[in-house]
Amino acid sequence: MTSEISFTFNAEQFTGNPGQSIAAALIASDRRVLRNTRFNQEPRSIFCGIGICFDCVVVIDGVANQRSCLVEISDGMIVESSQ
Amino acid sequence: MIIVIGAGPAGLAAAEAAARCGEEVTILDSSQRMGGQYWRHRLKVSGYKSERGEELFAKVSSHQNISHLSSATVWSAEAKNDEYQINFLQAGIEKSLVAEKIILATGAFDRSLPFPGWDTPGAMTPGAAQSLLKGHGVIAGKRIIVCGTGPFLLPVATALAEAGAEIVGLFDANSPMRWLLSPTAIFGNFAKIPELIFYARLLRKYGIKPEFGRAVVEFSNGSASVAQLNSDFETSDKELRRIPCDVVAVGWGFQPDVSLGGILGCAQKVDGDGTVIFSIDKNQLSSKRNIWIAGEATGIGGADLALIEGEIAGLSAAGHAVSRKLLRKRSAKRRFAKALQRSYPIAHGWTTWLKPTTTICRCEEVSASEILGSVSELGAEDARGAKLFTRAGMGLCQGRICARNVSEIVSSQTGCSVSDQERIASSNRPIAAPISLGLLADGKSRN
Amino acid sequence: MQNPDAIVIGAGIVGASCALSLTNAGLRVIVIDRGSVASGTTGAGEGNILVSDKDPGPELTLALKSRDLWFEMQEDVGDSFELEAKGGVVVARRDDAPLMKLAREQAEHGVTIQELDPSALHSLEPYLSDEISSGVLYPQDAQCQPMLAAAHVIRAVVSRGGSMVSNATVTRVLTLDSRVVGVETTQGTFKAPLVINATGTWAGEIAEMAGSHLPIAPRKGFILVTEPAPQYIFHKVYDSDYVANVASSDADLQTSTVVEGTRSGTILIGASRERIGFDGSMNYEIVRTLAEQATSLFPILRKVQLLRVYRGFRPYAPDHLPVVGEDSRIRGLWHSAGHEGAGIGLAPGSAHLITDAILGRESFMDATPFSPARFAMVNS
Repeated sequence: MTSEISFTFNAEQFTGNPGQSIAAALIASDRRVLRNTRFNQEPRSIFCGIGICFDCVVVIDGVANQRSCLVEISDGMIVESSQ
Repeated sequence: MIIVIGAGPAGLAAAEAAARCGEEVTILDSSQRMGGQYWRHRLKVSGYKSERGEELFAKVSSHQNISHLSSATVWSAEAKNDEYQINFLQAGIEKSLVAEKIILATGAFDRSLPFPGWDTPGAMTPGAAQSLLKGHGVIAGKRIIVCGTGPFLLPVATALAEAGAEIVGLFDANSPMRWLLSPTAIFGNFAKIPELIFYARLLRKYGIKPEFGRAVVEFSNGSASVAQLNSDFETSDKELRRIPCDVVAVGWGFQPDVSLGGILGCAQKVDGDGTVIFSIDKNQLSSKRNIWIAGEATGIGGADLALIEGEIAGLSAAGHAVSRKLLRKRSAKRRFAKALQRSYPIAHGWTTWLKPTTTICRCEEVSASEILGSVSELGAEDARGAKLFTRAGMGLCQGRICARNVSEIVSSQTGCSVSDQERIASSNRPIAAPISLGLLADGKSRN
Repeated sequence: MQNPDAIVIGAGIVGASCALSLTNAGLRVIVIDRGSVASGTTGAGEGNILVSDKDPGPELTLALKSRDLWFEMQEDVGDSFELEAKGGVVVARRDDAPLMKLAREQAEHGVTIQELDPSALHSLEPYLSDEISSGVLYPQDAQCQPMLAAAHVIRAVVSRGGSMVSNATVTRVLTLDSRVVGVETTQGTFKAPLVINATGTWAGEIAEMAGSHLPIAPRKGFILVTEPAPQYIFHKVYDSDYVANVASSDADLQTSTVVEGTRSGTILIGASRERIGFDGSMNYEIVRTLAEQATSLFPILRKVQLLRVYRGFRPYAPDHLPVVGEDSRIRGLWHSAGHEGAGIGLAPGSAHLITDAILGRESFMDATPFSPARFAMVNS
């Protein structure tokens, strides 16, 4: 593959290709669940894939509610599940 | 200067046409790359007649009159004196652009219907599966069911199959016999036949057998339940086939996001398929001075129609005459779009698929029983009431996914049909995208 | 329902409270609304039940009693509307002398206060800006979910023999010899010797129909709602400008800072007041101003995202006192309206005043300051 990009998701190392979104890179690595919902703690993954549903939100470098289906991975990015 | 919002087929066609007439154009689009959803790509556009996309990208990129601001998310717009100010976020900074003329081409998103398990990992829209594949080079799963209704299921299923996924089911809730309701549309759009053949060949190549009058009505524990539907979309309990799969890509047509046009005050109406769209004249001009609207937001009609509407909007914004030929092409495509509506309707029986625990508002985790309870116990009579009592529609997506469904569930309980006013109210929001309080505060001194 | 004892027009929190109070006193009540429950200003309310923002006087007396009645209503109807004695923290941005003076006066009139030095203030609200060094805690300030409250109260009314008619617009108030006899609506005519006008911002229209006059006007306000966020704010927090703005007669825009967290995790930010009629249009400048004010009090909010904005029209009476009592011209017509931004907090107290007056029994306070008679035209 071309130059791979490294990032962490919940402190675990992942890699992906340039131009891939966080959600895409995680799915490519078989990691589907992005977060658990805030009331019922139910697992959620990508749903609409185009930034409409906000189900795929993650915390990126400390900033909450970022849509992982839209944001492209970059080296050293720290991604965490929302509370 | 003309600002075009949206770089999908309609927006690109509008920008190209306006620039061709000598206008300065700035395109604002929230994606990193041009193409919108229809021409999603990472490196190159693929799919049926994909060269159209590549050609248009080339024209737009090379034109000296056109600037393209990518990754620019518009959150609001204001009329200021005789101009319009568009406020957007780009790279974590708030900016704004002012222009006399605006062309809105913000496209559409998949319509979703709730069913038990639609909120669990692995269930997604066909748009998500398509975006993952075309935009990010990732296949959504290994064993995929593509279902719902509409012509979009075909390109999604075939693209996934070409990329190596196993399509274990392709179900359309409607029957292709419905096309017989629209004979003139078919005759006026023979160009569609090669497209049909293109997909039919691919279906055969990958051994995908489409089935009709069927839908996935439940998804859990790695398998989907497929039911036979009657024309009201109700299930007859007898046949509930279970198919092991890790992804269910389910979509029920499209609906446009009307937030920006609504913020600017453009008049809206309800289309035959129940979607809220804008009223426009024959030149794609909205009810507001110097605001044109093209593409899905004037009525869901697909890329061919969007390209034509975009061109007409661009020419009109540039003060240029629009040829009869172009107008006739638009009429033909509009007839085809109407045929699509007749061929792929969504019947009310989907509400019978719901269990009390089925999530209706995904963002705020509101269940069907809570929505129904707000009607029977608390006196909610419409989506607004249900929203105030249950929080359905108050979450991050601001009702884009659930509001229409909430209206229809409430309606199935009260027996009163959903009014146009309710549909329009649910589709409008003064904040089109989230923006941090810090950026808002800082923007005050800038203004 | 045939021959009700009373008709309440308005199914917002004020009307619902009146209906409950009358029902509990043994009357058969019909509630009528041109929409459904909480279709008016209650649907745009924040849920404030405050004593902290009231100057000593009749409104404060009403507020103190009404606040306690809220907890009685919860006992009566059930814990179904998120009622919470959250407490309010009022901060002074600059000179704290006016705030302290007001607080001490309020303390002499039954309000519990606790003056806060910087360390007490910041231990109650750790995310408050370091630049704020002075404040007052009002433990009696409370919070509810107003739409759920109105709905559950109406539900209790109905379960106790009352009824609710929605989508019924009043077209005529029927009177005979200066006595009310009922109302005509788009859903039929309802006859009763008592009609309570609880239509809030639209109360003047109902009064006109009856041949009377109430100068109630809309006072528009916006509320900002953020994305769900960690708990950064522990009480209702507002700056002392709020009190001055409420009491102002200025029609021009007044803004002050009001911030609080909610159970669902979102943060609500207000407050703006303008008298521009029923113009409901969006104003992004006001949104920015409210964001600026909120982030100046709580800098951590800078990174929290705004999700939506909604607005409502408070019912404003020119002398800043609610209108509670019998109409001066038409017997049997009672008003409970014009509560400005305090409708939720004052609803049960107003209901008790009206019920007591209708039943001819002494109430917890003299309601004369709220009497509609104060608006009787000079030439009538």
